[in-house]
Amino acid sequence: MIDPTLLARVVQGDQQAFSQLYDHSSTLLFTLAVRILGNHDEAAELLQDVYLEVWRKVSRYDVGRGTPVAWLVTLTKSRAIDRLRARASRGYRATNSLEAGTATQVADPGPSPFETQADQELRIAVEAAVAGLPQAQQQAIELAYYEGLSHAEIAVRLNQPLGTVKTRIKLGMSKLRDGLQQWWTHGELQ
Amino acid sequence: MTHEELQESVPLYAAGALDRIERQALEAHLLSGCASCHSALKDYQSVAALLPLGLSPTSPPRSLKATIMAGRNPAPIPTEAASKEPARPSLEPGEWMNHLFPPTAPARSLSLPWALGLATLLIVAVGGYLVWNFAAQRSVDTSNIQQLEASLQEKSATLAGVHREVGDQAKALAELRNEMQQRTNEAAEAKEQLVQREAELEEARVQLSQQGGARIVGTPQDELATLLRIPNVKAVSLTGSDMAKRAAGFLLYDSRTQNVWLYSVNLPESPAGTTYQLWAIYNKPVSIGTFQMDTGETAHLLVKKVPSFKDAKTFAVSLEPSGGRPQPTGQIYLLSRS
Repeated sequence: MIDPTLLARVVQGDQQAFSQLYDHSSTLLFTLAVRILGNHDEAAELLQDVYLEVWRKVSRYDVGRGTPVAWLVTLTKSRAIDRLRARASRGYRATNSLEAGTATQVADPGPSPFETQADQELRIAVEAAVAGLPQAQQQAIELAYYEGLSHAEIAVRLNQPLGTVKTRIKLGMSKLRDGLQQWWTHGELQ
Repeated sequence: MTHEELQESVPLYAAGALDRIERQALEAHLLSGCASCHSALKDYQSVAALLPLGLSPTSPPRSLKATIMAGRNPAPIPTEAASKEPARPSLEPGEWMNHLFPPTAPARSLSLPWALGLATLLIVAVGGYLVWNFAAQRSVDTSNIQQLEASLQEKSATLAGVHREVGDQAKALAELRNEMQQRTNEAAEAKEQLVQREAELEEARVQLSQQGGARIVGTPQDELATLLRIPNVKAVSLTGSDMAKRAAGFLLYDSRTQNVWLYSVNLPESPAGTTYQLWAIYNKPVSIGTFQMDTGETAHLLVKKVPSFKDAKTFAVSLEPSGGRPQPTGQIYLLSRS
């Protein structure tokens, strides 16, 4: 997906490398930001902050800690959750539940022009793995992942026992790990 | 929390579902160096990073790239400068590298009691890890020492075995030497017995010839050959005196059988009523025997069982009246070289 050497070039101040990094990752990060924030404008504003932060602090990237994509996804998710919490602290209630998030998405524009065959295969594999989860497990994971809720908050939201929520998340994550593990053990995930 | 509880919280951590206390407990545990939890977390974080791929893609506005490219100031911060920024004390839920990218929003900032609690927990965890590490290192050292001791004992046993083998071989060699010495002695004894048997045989032959008369008389050559076969026989040469300057001779003496054999040449014929007599001279002359010279130019004399004359300094042959004399009275004809 993203060559690790591309980040090394960005560290050196290579603007062309930074442009390529944006081309290869912006759709995924923007999709994630929209899913969390439920708003295109705010997602675009977030991505601007994220990429500028990447540009300034790319030297902190440690290849031993994960792939470049994982790093960018984690950073974007972290900043989006921060915004979400800041918004909540101001009394704004976002309608970014799973159903609402789906409702805010625009029509699927199709694969990114920078998406490779391997990228498409991986995306299909992830879609299949997530879709293969029981609805309850998928819901619990998405509330934690995209809305930043703790298991206790999820239990309140779903009106389920705390242990049940924990089990759903653990089982769901384990199934996703088992189904997708080949993508990073084979070194195909960049 | 037990290790099992911490381990079970790893997938929830990666999904971002832990509350603050649980998150900090797991982070402290990870900082203590638990390899199994680290490995599990790496897998679950890889899963978490893939989740957005399951969403329907949404492209960003076209103008966003230009805005971002235009806003890239200042230039990327070098590693050294970036490392000087204050590090966050904790990771955000499921965000394994969030300590590198502190959240910009002030929400959920740490209170002082939480910070102190976390600091205490970290100190305890690091201290525990150091103690565990010291104990593990000590265990490894002890194990190494035990292995070295075992190896040393094995080498010592091998060395003792080699010593025993060398000792056995030395003992076998000594036995072989003794046996060889014994065989040598036996061979020498057998050789001596053989010589003795030959001498006895020769003596028996002489006696037989004396008893059997002229029919079985051995030739001088036979006598000489017999004597020459005897090892360590002594030889003394004799030269003619002024009475017989052309005369010469030599005698052979076998100390074991005490036989003396004299051979002489060019002695004058002994007149009638005289005889040649052989003397061994110690402090005083001792007669060994008499012999006649007829017309021949050579003569020989075989004397049996003469007294030992190993101390004799000189041998001489004189002409004496028939039958010989106890002491030399006539002229000396042959004299040994002293």
